[in-house]
Amino acid sequence: MKTVILAPLDPVHDNAVKLLQRKLTEAGYGAIALPPGVTAEEVIERALTEKPAAILVSRTLGYKVAETLSGLVDLADAAGLRPHTRLGVGGMAVTREIGAELGFDGVFNGDLNMPAVIAFIENRPIEMATADTAPARIKPDLTAGYSYRFIDPLIEGLLDQITSQLLDWVKAKSSPGTKRAQLREAMLAEPETSTEKSRLQEQYLQQCDLEIQSFYREGSLPDGVRWLDQGELERLPGLTAALPQSLSVRHVGERPLIFTQYGTGCPVMDAVHIKVAEAWGADGLLHFDPSWGAQREGLLDGLLSHEHDGTILTLDNLRLIRSAIAPHLLWNVRGHRGLNTPETQVLAQAAGADLLKINIPYGATGGATDPARLAVDGVYSLQLAARYGLPFDIPGNDELSGVPPYKTFAGLLVMTMLGLKLGARPIPKPLMCYSPYMMVEGCMEDNFIDMNTAKLRVWSEIIDAPIWPGEPVGFMTHTPDRVQSAMTTAAHVALAKNLGAAAVTMASSDEAYSKGPISAQARVDTLRAARELLRFMGSAGFSPTPAADRLQVQLHAGIRQQLQLIAKRGDFVAAIYEGLLGSPEDGLHPGRTGRGTVQE
Amino acid sequence: MGSARAQVADAIDIETFFICRDAEEAQRLALQLADELNLTDVSIVFLEHAGIGARVRLRSYVHRPGEHYGWLENATQA
Repeated sequence: MKTVILAPLDPVHDNAVKLLQRKLTEAGYGAIALPPGVTAEEVIERALTEKPAAILVSRTLGYKVAETLSGLVDLADAAGLRPHTRLGVGGMAVTREIGAELGFDGVFNGDLNMPAVIAFIENRPIEMATADTAPARIKPDLTAGYSYRFIDPLIEGLLDQITSQLLDWVKAKSSPGTKRAQLREAMLAEPETSTEKSRLQEQYLQQCDLEIQSFYREGSLPDGVRWLDQGELERLPGLTAALPQSLSVRHVGERPLIFTQYGTGCPVMDAVHIKVAEAWGADGLLHFDPSWGAQREGLLDGLLSHEHDGTILTLDNLRLIRSAIAPHLLWNVRGHRGLNTPETQVLAQAAGADLLKINIPYGATGGATDPARLAVDGVYSLQLAARYGLPFDIPGNDELSGVPPYKTFAGLLVMTMLGLKLGARPIPKPLMCYSPYMMVEGCMEDNFIDMNTAKLRVWSEIIDAPIWPGEPVGFMTHTPDRVQSAMTTAAHVALAKNLGAAAVTMASSDEAYSKGPISAQARVDTLRAARELLRFMGSAGFSPTPAADRLQVQLHAGIRQQLQLIAKRGDFVAAIYEGLLGSPEDGLHPGRTGRGTVQE
Repeated sequence: MGSARAQVADAIDIETFFICRDAEEAQRLALQLADELNLTDVSIVFLEHAGIGARVRLRSYVHRPGEHYGWLENATQA
């Protein structure tokens, strides 16, 4: 057993010494802690007796730091200790520069890093030791451990009825979106220069809007779009290399996984924002594309930068972004709405996405896509998700238009059952938010805990599935004040953790700022705030009032009632058109984009 | 040593507290300060007046998405 002498060369402060003594003893070392106020002479005298592998001294007070510490180094030299005893120093008053200048073998700043301390005692390189002992980062599976067993048989029966009707309805139907997805898959299987690929591309263009055709045929770019240049592409890898380590937002436990959204418009800027999120502890990322891209038939191609929000969906853009994402991070490419929903799944899978995003009711209302069109494209997309073996998440953001949560959840459940029937793995995303419905109804006037608790807990009465509150958590509670914004996000993350969420999506502290792009520092704000609050909470929890139970009962009953209405209607697409999943009175209208494009 | 401004990822935020009468005066002072500091592409992200003054956060975009970035020009080629 190696011996280490721990000495607080400080008249009062010895907390670090006590902590180190416990940690080193647990690690199997003989840790001798000397009392505060010990002199350099006394430390060396003890070292001559104990012959330790290392002397670790700490100093908190700034007064006479250099004089005190250099005295110890001189005495150790004079006593002939240095060949077999390493001298290390740490503490608030000691900088790396001072320690090195005074002749210490090692200097420790910041939080206690035990692998580094042990490496120092053992005379091993500290960086290597940290890397060796850091647990390998393994990409998590969000759906692992969930049985997808329905707990509420009434809801299960209704969903079976609704989804059977829908699957029957989409049979033998297609759209330009499903055709392009098929063509895109075929093109991806062809070599770049093959004549077959050119032939397929011509067929592809026949299914595209004129603006997209003109991009391929004449090279004309939409407004605000430019090609990335060679210099940018050559330099980017120098900034996006894998990080040796990153912070963790969580303090205890492995969940929730922390997701952030990006989509600055420029893949190069996205890559930088992704590295910022990775360094500050994000576990996953969601790709946001421009809303205009969802309104056009067909997707552009190549490496394209865009001056406005949302990064253009092309295979090259996605691959460039993927190259910046660390292998252990999860990556979701959204295709939950719009005319390119099936093709988005194809490109996402080809670029290496881990998760897809599909929601027919939301995309066909809040997402502005025609319900019939998105029903056809959405079911096709779920089939792709199943074939690719990729889980898909189901955002419930229609609540933001004013839809009551029981209607939104009815839609999430229909998508869950549809996914399961088609062999895919769904992840429902109930929104933790202060929605217009809640404001009007006054359901959250006292606190934000009860309703959000009811909204997450109700799922455990219906199905054993991973629940991922999004998107982002705390929607409509944010203001442009960065402290407030980071605080409310962190509070929602902590509540989600307390309620057993599998993952959460977090905004930046620029969530409510609308005059410009999200800044890198705003991304750090919320990750840092969540880390602090999760540290503060640890394994402790929130205490909802009895209202949470009452709201949960109401919500469950509302979901059942809504699903009964949808089942009774006997036509899921008609149910969307007629407002059973969100009506004009709620603030939702059936989408119009792509109307009349479904083909028998 | 190259320009620090070129290494700004995207935006510079400046937070301060103005001693002033009301939000309107705070806004005027914020924009005047941005001018005095030679900041460009400036907006006020947040402004809250209470009592004797206002807490303000100003933002100046150095690199907007889609532009050519100084930090990329300075990055080592991989």
